This record gives sequence, structure tokens and C-alpha cells, in this order.
Amino acid sequence: MISVRDLHKSFGDNEVLRGINYEIDKGEKIVIIGASGSGKSTFLRCLNLLETPTSGSIFVEGEEITAPGADVNRIRQKMGMVFQHFNLFANLSIMDNITLAPVMLGLQSKEEAKENALRLLQRVGLTEKADAYPAQLSGGQKQRIAIVRSLAMNPEVMLFDEPTSALDPEMVGEVLEVMRELADSGMTMVVVTHEMGFAREVASKVLFVDEGIIKEENTPQEFFANPKDARLQEFLSKVL
Amino acid sequence: MSEFTRKFYQDFIQDNRWHFITDGLKITLLVTLLALLIGTLIGIVVGIVRCAHDQQTKNELRGVKGSILKALNLICKVYVTIIRGTPALVQLLIMYFVILVTARSKVFVAVLTFGINSGAYVAEIFRGGIMSIDKGQMEAGRSLGLSYVQTMYKIILPQAFKAVLPSLVNEFISLLKETSICGYIGLNELTRGGDIIRGTTFDAMLPLFTVAIIYLTLVLLIQGVAGRVEKRLRKSDVR
Repeated sequence: MISVRDLHKSFGDNEVLRGINYEIDKGEKIVIIGASGSGKSTFLRCLNLLETPTSGSIFVEGEEITAPGADVNRIRQKMGMVFQHFNLFANLSIMDNITLAPVMLGLQSKEEAKENALRLLQRVGLTEKADAYPAQLSGGQKQRIAIVRSLAMNPEVMLFDEPTSALDPEMVGEVLEVMRELADSGMTMVVVTHEMGFAREVASKVLFVDEGIIKEENTPQEFFANPKDARLQEFLSKVL
Repeated sequence: MSEFTRKFYQDFIQDNRWHFITDGLKITLLVTLLALLIGTLIGIVVGIVRCAHDQQTKNELRGVKGSILKALNLICKVYVTIIRGTPALVQLLIMYFVILVTARSKVFVAVLTFGINSGAYVAEIFRGGIMSIDKGQMEAGRSLGLSYVQTMYKIILPQAFKAVLPSLVNEFISLLKETSICGYIGLNELTRGGDIIRGTTFDAMLPLFTVAIIYLTLVLLIQGVAGRVEKRLRKSDVR
């Protein structure tokens, strides 16, 4: 479904990604782990072109999104993204946060979008917050809304960029719970996270990104039980 | 007749001199409001062009569209530099005696000068406001498939407007008072109206204080309206 070929990304003289190759199939749950500065977030942000790759190519369902003239906006409609800092639209109510994009892009009528939003809000248990503003919500609630906002576009794949890193510890669980349910529903997911428990239980594959390349890739059982790369062994010994 | 009433009569009642004040006030308000309109329009456009340019990556600035944006950005930069770098009075005199020599209406010259002048300041205010909005807001909009313009219009500008409102009000108040230099091109606005009375009756205090109080009242009015607007805009901040 997503195919990444020899992806490079530099910020000035700093080469963050040094040739990433990977294939993601439909329905897979890919969890990416790595130390800070390893390039894992940059990799994820390249997938929906929030970062423009320096070289290499990315194909989504056979279409090269890195080609000049590719319709980036249309491609992004199919790729939901959840950010570390939620990034809910501060000037809009929760309902408007969720319905803005589908209505503005002409995918759903106002009524459809509203109905859809209420159904999704019910799924994450936040129906009563429909008329609230983001500033009135806790971090965990904001992140659940952010997930709902992406889901309202009916995406084919969801990208998560450290979705629980900015949360108070007691709120991590409620967000991971929503992500687990989403995974069970068959959504294709790419998740950058430090939650090893989530990786172990939900991932179909775990990737270790280090020094701008994928150093190790395996099923969660093998990945955590028999890490082969020395840097990964060192990393796991620190976080587990 | 007391000294005060005698002067008051002389300054305002005799020969209908109060007309200098009321007619002047009309001109001041007309020039300020029209300049405000022009200035805000110029300011928003220039501010957005400057931000749009600065927020694109080098890659996105390639090609025809990128080149146009680069050229526009340069024009906007030069405009802001020249307008902010020279006194409004000099601009007014240049406009009246050099550029628009054939213009019949002094009001027109004043409106254009102050509109262009104010636009430069409003542009910088808007640029600052837009830049102050967390870049995650733009990323979130773009990640949903909205275009740059759509995200700007629905997400960034409303938040930026709220953030810059106090600075905008400040600029508008400055504009109102700055129109008092229109006397230099012989436009009889409020200040000059008061000054004409002073020159006729040789009483300085009463006409000038009157003019000052009128300006102060107008500023208080603007402040009052701005306070209400701010309160309404703060709706989304409630915790």
C-alpha cells in the first residue's frame, strides 16, 4: 500500500534520513521506535509530505506522491495524521474541528459530517464535548478528538507521531485504548512511539530506526526477545 | 459677561466659527475611515504575501509560481521598508507636491497617503500575528488535505486576528491622530480647524483644548468598541 524507496532527507548539512526502503501492506500496524534524533519522526512526516524528501520516492497505492505535480492535498485526504501536540484548531469548537475538512473539501454535506462526527465521538466517549473548545479539554481528551478528526476523513491509513509523549501518565491509557480499538478494526497504522507495551501487543512489525536508516525490522516477539543489532540491544536495555 | 463666556462666544459662536471644528471633524473622520479601509486591505495582502513566502520551503519556491511569490515578496519588502523608513509628513508632501500634483481633491491625496502609510504598519502587525500561531495548526490543516489558502483562511487568520487586535487598535488610534498633519497641504481637518480659530481670535487655549478633547473622545470610543470585540473573540479561550 505504501512503498518507500531510498528515502533521503537533509536539513541543511544535517542528513537525517540516509536511505530508507520499506513496504507497508494494507492492514499492517507498523510501530517505529528509536532514540530521539534518530529520524523516526522525520520518516513518518515524509510519508504525507509534511517534510519534502531530499531524494528518493514514496508510492501510495501505486501513485508516486513524490513526483513533481502530484496532487498532495488529495493524497493527504486518505492519510490521517495524529500529532504529539494534538494540534486541534484552537479557534473552532470540537464539532467544527471534526467537520471542517470533510465539509470544506466537499466530501460530506454538513449534516452527514455532523452525524458522522457524533458517531465517532460516541466511539471515544466524548459526545458531551461536541460544543466545547480545545482549551477546555484535558490532553488525553484532545488527543482522542485529534484521532476522531482524522478518522472523519475516512482515511486508508493513519500516521501517529508520538501520540502519547506529551500526555500526563494517567492519560496515556485512554489514548492507547482508542488506538488499540482502531487497530482491531483493521486500520492500516504507522505509529512512532515510546510505548513498548503497545508495540508488543498491537504491532504487526516493529522497526528500529537509528542514524537515518532502518537498523532492524521484525515481528514484535522476535524484535523484543532476540534483538540482533547492537544499538537496538543497548536501546532496549535502557527503555525496558 | 465673564471672560470665559466672552472668549467662548468669540471662538465658536461669532461668525459661526464652530463650523471650523465640525467641518474639520468630518474631514478627519472621513480621511481616517477611508485610510483605515485601504490600509487594512493593503496590510492583510502584504502580510500574507510575506508570510506565504517565508513559510514555503526552498523546494516549493522553485518554478513559475515560486518565482511570482518571490517577486511579490520583494516588492512587499521594499514597500514596507520605504514607508516605515520615512516620516508620514514627508510622504504626504511628496504625494501632494510631486506625485499627485494634478489631483483636485486634497482629501483624496490624504486618504491615499495615509492608506498606503498605514498599510505598511498593518502588514507587519499581521505578519507578526500569523507567525505567532503555532505551526502545528497549519500542519494539522494540511495533513487533513486542506490547501494552504484554505487553512490560512479558516484556521490561521482567525487566530492571528485575535492575537493582533490590540496592536491593530493601536495603529488605528495612531492613524486618527496622525491625520492632523493634513494641515500642511492646506486640508482643513480638525486640528487645522482649531488652529484657524486661534489665528482669527488670538485665543489659543479654548480652541486647542476643544480639539484635544474631541480627539480624546474619539480614541475612547475606539477603545470601547475594541474592548467589546476582544471580549467576543475570547470565546474560544474559556477554560
